[in-house]
Amino acid sequence: MKALMSLGALIGVAGLLLLGGMIFDVVPSNTVRLVEGYMPMQMLFEVACFVAGFAGLSYMMSAMGMPLPRFWQGIGFWAFILLYLKYRVYPPIPFSVRAMYGTVSLVAVFMWVSANEEDWKKFKQPIMNVLDAQTGVNKLLRYVYLVLLPILIGGFSYNAMMPKSEEPIELRTVHPAPPASTKVHGKTYTLQTSQNPYRVNPEGKYDQEFSNNNIVEQGMGRLMKPNANPWDDKNTGYLKYVREGGEIFFQNCHFCHGDNLNGRGLHAFAFNPIPANFTDPGTIAQLQETFIFWRVSKGGIGLPNEGFPWASVMPPWEQHLTVDEIWKVILFEYWHTGYYPRTWD
Amino acid sequence: MIDSITQKAGIIAAAAFGVVLVSSAGYSSASAQGLPEGFKKGDLAPEPSAEMIEAGKRVYFTKCVWCHGVDGAGDGPGADRLWPRPRNFNQGTFKIRHTASGELPLFDAKKPVPGQNDLFETVTHGLPGSAMPPWEGILTEEQRLQVLSFVTTQLVKDRKFTDKQSETQTVLQLADLKPKPATDESKKRGGELVVEKKCVECHGMEGRGDGNAFNLKDDWGFSIQPADWHKCWNFRGSRQDPYNVGNIFRTFSTGVNGTPMPSFADNTTVDERWDIANFVNSLCERDALGNPLPIDPLTDKPKINFVIPSDMVEGEIPTEIDHEAWQKAPKRYVAMGGQITHKPRNFVNRIDDIWVRSLYNDKSIVYLIEWDDRTKSVAEGKLPWAPTQVNIIDVKEQDPKTGEEGSIAAHQNNYTVYNDAIAIQTAVKWKELPAPIKPRYLFGTNDQFPVDIVKWEADGSLRAFKGTGWDKDFEERDNYEESMKLLKGEWKDGRWYVMIQRPVGNKKDQDYDEDTFFEVGQYIPTVFFAWDGHNGDAGRKMAVSAFFYTFMNPPIPQETYIYPAVIAVGVVLLEGWVLTRRANKKKGKTL
Repeated sequence: MKALMSLGALIGVAGLLLLGGMIFDVVPSNTVRLVEGYMPMQMLFEVACFVAGFAGLSYMMSAMGMPLPRFWQGIGFWAFILLYLKYRVYPPIPFSVRAMYGTVSLVAVFMWVSANEEDWKKFKQPIMNVLDAQTGVNKLLRYVYLVLLPILIGGFSYNAMMPKSEEPIELRTVHPAPPASTKVHGKTYTLQTSQNPYRVNPEGKYDQEFSNNNIVEQGMGRLMKPNANPWDDKNTGYLKYVREGGEIFFQNCHFCHGDNLNGRGLHAFAFNPIPANFTDPGTIAQLQETFIFWRVSKGGIGLPNEGFPWASVMPPWEQHLTVDEIWKVILFEYWHTGYYPRTWD
Repeated sequence: MIDSITQKAGIIAAAAFGVVLVSSAGYSSASAQGLPEGFKKGDLAPEPSAEMIEAGKRVYFTKCVWCHGVDGAGDGPGADRLWPRPRNFNQGTFKIRHTASGELPLFDAKKPVPGQNDLFETVTHGLPGSAMPPWEGILTEEQRLQVLSFVTTQLVKDRKFTDKQSETQTVLQLADLKPKPATDESKKRGGELVVEKKCVECHGMEGRGDGNAFNLKDDWGFSIQPADWHKCWNFRGSRQDPYNVGNIFRTFSTGVNGTPMPSFADNTTVDERWDIANFVNSLCERDALGNPLPIDPLTDKPKINFVIPSDMVEGEIPTEIDHEAWQKAPKRYVAMGGQITHKPRNFVNRIDDIWVRSLYNDKSIVYLIEWDDRTKSVAEGKLPWAPTQVNIIDVKEQDPKTGEEGSIAAHQNNYTVYNDAIAIQTAVKWKELPAPIKPRYLFGTNDQFPVDIVKWEADGSLRAFKGTGWDKDFEERDNYEESMKLLKGEWKDGRWYVMIQRPVGNKKDQDYDEDTFFEVGQYIPTVFFAWDGHNGDAGRKMAVSAFFYTFMNPPIPQETYIYPAVIAVGVVLLEGWVLTRRANKKKGKTL
């Protein structure tokens, strides 16, 4: 038990040092990289590590005879959550969202410290002590608070009232509802029933199971299956189309969506909204192939209003590519990221 | 996860120790062997194992082949639309090295150690300013070593990394050379040395890469441009650490293989090289206090603030950049990408950022726009299209597959020269648009959501247009042009300085249906366009920014000072109430 707890304490201290380093810019914030696509899981895991670390730390401290009062535990944990959200998570979360998380965690901390009467008493004891000011230190503290509080609150309100030029927050729907059908190069495609004509098995039939067996493997790097190289000259069918799709991708799309399809191409840094990251499980992995077909064909200008069509630089690809080329690029995108297109049923 | 960090930290600490311990012993012995100062003889690395090579092939054909090609000749499907063109591995020519000019770079499949494995670091950190991304976080360390094992043994064809007969390694001992503090004296000496060593002949008098920019070719005959020292985040060898002076020192000591950039190791001392590196590093853009700009780790470019604040001045707006008001005005980095939405798409935009400042008074608002452009371009004779024309057939986009000769890299510096130009696009009647709706970024949406475009061209013209869609020719706004004023339009040492004054707008003198009215304290959607005449830019072939906001800072209202004081007094009263209550309660209890 003790060994376990000291291990926990070690994790806690190391984690706190790292976070502290990031806050003061001593440790670069990308020291422990948030791995693309796994970020939410990684964050949960990290926070769990921290919680375990804190539990260990508080156990160690009380074992060493200097227990941290419940009051400071609560405040410290809340401060930790706020700092973690602000300094660890990248790209940064807007303040309004952080405020929401902050409120929720404040309520949670409150519930924790007031779980039973005894705990609650322990929690509010330090506040009462200062109010009553029975000892010299508390008396001093009380006067410090008396002076500091009005200054701080006045200062905050001054800060809040000072005219500022912060970027207005605009929330955009990334995957708006698709239309029932879309007309590309003179032909109408019903999104519910259309299929990628290049997702075929060796017999030439539409076969998602076959193609799913030949996409790149999941895991770091997402490499191709050793026996399914699209650059093999003997290829016919699916893998040949993947290669053709890749050629089109690297002649047209990589400028924004990037060499690893992660939305970090050459021009990406200049654009807002940033180009979609196909390796993120929240993009093409969540969508049907025909949805992608609609989005690719019509581009930013074809988005409904909630998708901010005025700001997106996504080209309406029907102006640059044929229908066949668009299907092949989509085929390549699923192959390269190792995701299955979502089906309608 | 935690382990790898502590390990990293350990290595860094050890390396730092090493610097201190070895620095004196390091190069005195090296120079004794007749090597340039700061270099030491190194050994060729052993050949990677067959398994590593085989595993690397799989990585290569998943990730790299698309640009670098099946035989590593830099001729993959993506190559013809890229400039710089992807590396041709066959000759074994690599740019960023710790080895002497002309030598193969450091690569050891068993040693992924920073400073001792050039190719590994290139793959890890990418080559900023080119299409080569950083592969860290995508490929594991092992995978990066594997793919390099494959490239160095199978795709480098003219040379052999393990051939003791033909290859040598003379390694810059960068870790042992203590950087010289960047004192004013060191930078001053560096500034003199870049003239003496003729750096400025290519890199330009101010280091904006505007020197002998036109006749430079790389080993494969493609045009190549000297680095712009003011954009250190675009240095190929910046290793995601652009303000690190060591990177400049390394490049200057070893040269850039395959390009006209030589190594200066033989004709400079280490001390001189640090001076030059300190000087070059000091030129990179910094904030008003002289601190490095914060770099966005996702893009490796400066972080973007989308609000362009405009400060108020009393009376006339100064036209001199040195004026205090302009010096105090916040300067915003506006990132520019190629216009890749509609034909003709601009795959290579040579203007990748502009710097914007703004001031206003009761009548006008002035934008001061500065951007680096290696060439001043003014079209010869009259352009064959009207200024309002948007669809220009003379300007074509690069075909996807042309082979080397027809590639975009081969075209560079051979375009018909048009005018350099800059344009500011703002939304018309933005107040009536339900937020966040704006007219489309590219010349507006339609007649219902038009935009106000003010365009300056290098021939000295300043025009005002109304835009109603990406493929609609502009409409002229005749009586607006008289109310605008070009306060400055000057090209100097690789940089344009353009100052445009326009009315803030009022219903009496301007047309509410086609002119943007600028109001204090409001966010006015603003987009910037830039054309580089020597890149053949005209019409839609241009660089574009995202939506920014012009924000005219309001004067501070009196309430800002009054209310906080009132609130503070309120808090004091509240405190008194709480304390009295507590005291009474306790009294009640004890009594």
